[in-house]
Amino acid sequence: MIGGLKRALDNLLGRGEAAVTVPPLDGAFLPNRVLDEARQRVPLDAIDSLAVVNGQLVASADEGLYALVDGGHWTLRESYGCTIADLAAVAEEGLAIALGSGNIVIEGGRFDGRRYRADSSVNCITALAVSGTQLYVANGSAKNGASDWQRDLLERNASGSIWRIDLDSGEALPIASGLAWPAGIAIESDAIVYTEAWKHRLMRTSLHGSPGVQMVQADLPFYPGRLAPGKDGWWLALFAPRSQLVEFVLREPAYRNRMMAEVAPPYWVSPKLRSGRSFYESLQGGGVKHLGILKPWAPTMSAGLCVMLDATLRPKFSLHSRADGATHGVTGVCEHGGHLHVAAHGDGVMVSLPVATILAGWGGER
Amino acid sequence: MTTFDAMVRWRYRAIPDHLLGEILAKRWIDNAIPLLILIAVVAVFGSMIPDFFSAASVSNLARQWGEFSLLVLALMVVMVAGGIDLSVGSTFALGNIVALSLISVAGLPVPMVVAGTLACGAAVGLVNGLLVGYLRLRAFLTTLVTLIIVRAIVDMLLMKYSVAIAGAFIESDAWYYFGEGSLLGLPVSVVISIVVALVLHVALSRTRVGWHVLATGGSRRSAHNVGIKVRRTICVTYVVSGTLSALAGLLFASRLGGAGADTGIGLEVSALTAAVLGGNSLGGGRGSAAKAVIGSITVMLMINSMVRMGVTSGANSLLLGMVLLAAVAIDVRWLKNRHKFLSKVYVSPTYFELPPAPSTAGASVYALNDRLRPVEAIGLNRIDGPEDVILDGDDNIYVGNRTGDIVRFLAPDYTTQEVFAHVGGRPLGMAFAKDGSLLVCIGGMGLYRITRDREIVKLTDETNRSWFSVIDDSRLKLADDLDIAPDGRVFFSEATIRYEMHEWPVDCLESRGNGRIICHDPNTGTTRTVIKNLLFPNGICMTHDGQSFLFAETWACRVSRYWFDGSKKGTVEAVIPDLPGYPDNINRASDGTYWLALVGIRTPSLDLALKMPGFRRRMARRVAPDEWLYPNINTGCVVRFDEGGRIIETLWDFGGENHPMITSMREHRGHLYIGGILNNRVGRLKLKDADPAWTGPDSYWRRS
Repeated sequence: MIGGLKRALDNLLGRGEAAVTVPPLDGAFLPNRVLDEARQRVPLDAIDSLAVVNGQLVASADEGLYALVDGGHWTLRESYGCTIADLAAVAEEGLAIALGSGNIVIEGGRFDGRRYRADSSVNCITALAVSGTQLYVANGSAKNGASDWQRDLLERNASGSIWRIDLDSGEALPIASGLAWPAGIAIESDAIVYTEAWKHRLMRTSLHGSPGVQMVQADLPFYPGRLAPGKDGWWLALFAPRSQLVEFVLREPAYRNRMMAEVAPPYWVSPKLRSGRSFYESLQGGGVKHLGILKPWAPTMSAGLCVMLDATLRPKFSLHSRADGATHGVTGVCEHGGHLHVAAHGDGVMVSLPVATILAGWGGER
Repeated sequence: MTTFDAMVRWRYRAIPDHLLGEILAKRWIDNAIPLLILIAVVAVFGSMIPDFFSAASVSNLARQWGEFSLLVLALMVVMVAGGIDLSVGSTFALGNIVALSLISVAGLPVPMVVAGTLACGAAVGLVNGLLVGYLRLRAFLTTLVTLIIVRAIVDMLLMKYSVAIAGAFIESDAWYYFGEGSLLGLPVSVVISIVVALVLHVALSRTRVGWHVLATGGSRRSAHNVGIKVRRTICVTYVVSGTLSALAGLLFASRLGGAGADTGIGLEVSALTAAVLGGNSLGGGRGSAAKAVIGSITVMLMINSMVRMGVTSGANSLLLGMVLLAAVAIDVRWLKNRHKFLSKVYVSPTYFELPPAPSTAGASVYALNDRLRPVEAIGLNRIDGPEDVILDGDDNIYVGNRTGDIVRFLAPDYTTQEVFAHVGGRPLGMAFAKDGSLLVCIGGMGLYRITRDREIVKLTDETNRSWFSVIDDSRLKLADDLDIAPDGRVFFSEATIRYEMHEWPVDCLESRGNGRIICHDPNTGTTRTVIKNLLFPNGICMTHDGQSFLFAETWACRVSRYWFDGSKKGTVEAVIPDLPGYPDNINRASDGTYWLALVGIRTPSLDLALKMPGFRRRMARRVAPDEWLYPNINTGCVVRFDEGGRIIETLWDFGGENHPMITSMREHRGHLYIGGILNNRVGRLKLKDADPAWTGPDSYWRRS
């Protein structure tokens, strides 16, 4: 009763849960242009996920699996006739490929050619992770497909789940459910850490013993996506920025519903992997160009962000592409061969940076 | 339109939400709470005390009020200038004893008595004024000291003259007239204080001295910086205060004729309570005669009613103290929160539904193209925000800029630029008059003429005030674009009357018809509003019949035509009812058609939001302005249309790389010159089929 009254009052006054504040980009999230200033940029339209097989960097883009050859360009390795949802290396020479249909295919290695499926209801795979013979699958939503992520956000769903598949037996078990768009998995010794994009947080759930769920990071300024292991920590790809306007729209059910019903999806007021390409997209006050220039700090529906987390998953520093940048919509990240590779889906480009330089730059600033 | 939309529309038609904000923005709204308190006091005591409203009671009260209100007015004058005068009670007592001494001991005639008493009060005020104003001592302590000293003088005078005063008999009807006479059925003291209140009201609100006083109280340093003689102003307020206090003492002397030791004791606290309770700010800068009058009536009624109800004098003072405390608290809270509340409720969006937007793809007349790609840049990075562009007969380009200049680029290569005139405001629309002078709409200033000799002349900065408008709409806030009829009348648009120029996005958020079109007739010097309630009227262009003009309404995405002469005089007709974007300036093309700039393109999400006023209102309150949903003005285009509203061609720069932001365009000798309010250049495009000799001034003024 009191809770209901409080919510009603909050709603009227825009306080508490109805407040539309977004955490500022400060501390470990202090903006920079590192992603845009990277020298090595390899374009690949709709590049999404990165993995390393047999020492070679591979990437998924739409329906195709691509390999980076000569360090300079992408060649198509195979096309699957269905959007690739995510990639994960299985041991050294195997590759697990999750498809938009919900099937998972293994290529190479001990399980070559085997197909898996977590459950008939799993149709929205967002992330894979492999540990030994255990395959972890994140299912973003029970209601929408992976490409409908904006709708899932606007519907304020929390219907995602995480599954574990035993690669030997093919047996699948749900580990967690009722998640708000789980979009990345990191495996620790006896627990897994996953991102919950719509709740802007990182959660840890224990695999053995007590099944407690623990919040690792909360109130991130971007929507967190995939996690990838680094040499001394983790890399977190964050695919879109949060904004006051979207937070506000999320609290306006009447407008949200009419917008989803009456406006074409590319023109919704919602985060995007790449925004500002069409004049039918909504514009925010700070996004008005002055003297032909878009300010880097302009409010934007898309941006690029990749964060280094230490071994305890605390953010240490971040690599940005700001409103006026050209590396928006970071969906994949992979540390390999002394380089950090960042896949920017929104701008269809992979940028590579020497890890040593990044760390040195950060240490120097400290 | 769905039933829901229809309901929303009727709801916003029926209830004019914007009036609340407009009323709260008025200065007189400060009187609302004091007036409510007064009404409450009258209601409470009127019901508790029998005979409260009887003639004898009211008449007796009125005489006392006349004296008391003079003291409150005296204190108000000082408070408004940022000071305080605690010596009003003592000066009152001094006025009393001096008047009595002069009339009964010295035996002077009444006019001499009045002059002497007032001079005495003025002298006390002058001492205060010199100490506080010129020597800059603390007002509170200084007047506290004066209070004590004047009281001591009064006591000394009392010792010397009280017997003589008590024993003397004054034979002068004129003397008693002050205390007991009536004028127009009102006690003389009431008439005097009403006159004084009116004079002070007019002085504070209408005269230079009054403005100086208010400015000094509002911010002493700013007042000094703008050249007000702060010290003198403050000194004058104390002199006025002392004079008025002595006048009150004179009236008291005439009414009671007795010199007592307790005359005027504690009066300064009552007067202070009254002044603050009326809404005069202790901090200065905010106050009026009306507030002092309201406060004095309230306190007067309270004190007298308490006495009549038999409350002991200690309790009476206690009550007064409590009221003063409450009044000060309300004063502080009100001052602190009024503008916060106002900023929350002032923005009041309303329902507005745009017709479906035409496509910009495929076979549409608005289809995207690259025809603005070849635009050359003139003055790139050397001009900040040329909203409008115009060329004279010698091909020189004139543009306004953000810093308040009209800049001229010299023909033929336009590499040299000079400030043609510095106007100070934001130059927007421009037009050449028949005599070759340049008429400019200046945002924030009004309509101006710049002669060929660069002399800047104000044509008008005001129009007639609407009878039923709450906000004062006589001043021009955002004169936007103009054009000149063949007889010389100037028609210009004012985009919005509710907002300043830099607040244009808020006006879009409201999408109410806040704009208007105004006609200035230089032949008679008159300015009249001709069309009201337009949605951000922007571009104006005379048609070729000399009887009508076309005008664009930016947020309504339409172009209409208005006849100011001829058989259709006074009518408005839609020409293009459904544009895909937001129209800005309109200008003539060489073949008798018209150019129209679209500053931005409609976005489906904002079009939807326009049908949901509650959504926009909450957005305005909760989301930072930089994060608001804006009309997308990052991409625009140029459209050519004819009088029938048929679109002939559309010029785009897809991607906006070459010429971002278009708010105006002007055809001149086969070229199109393009301006943009947030742009850093003037664009120039060669037109293929245009008449290479055609110029705008020729088209207007050299027709056979």
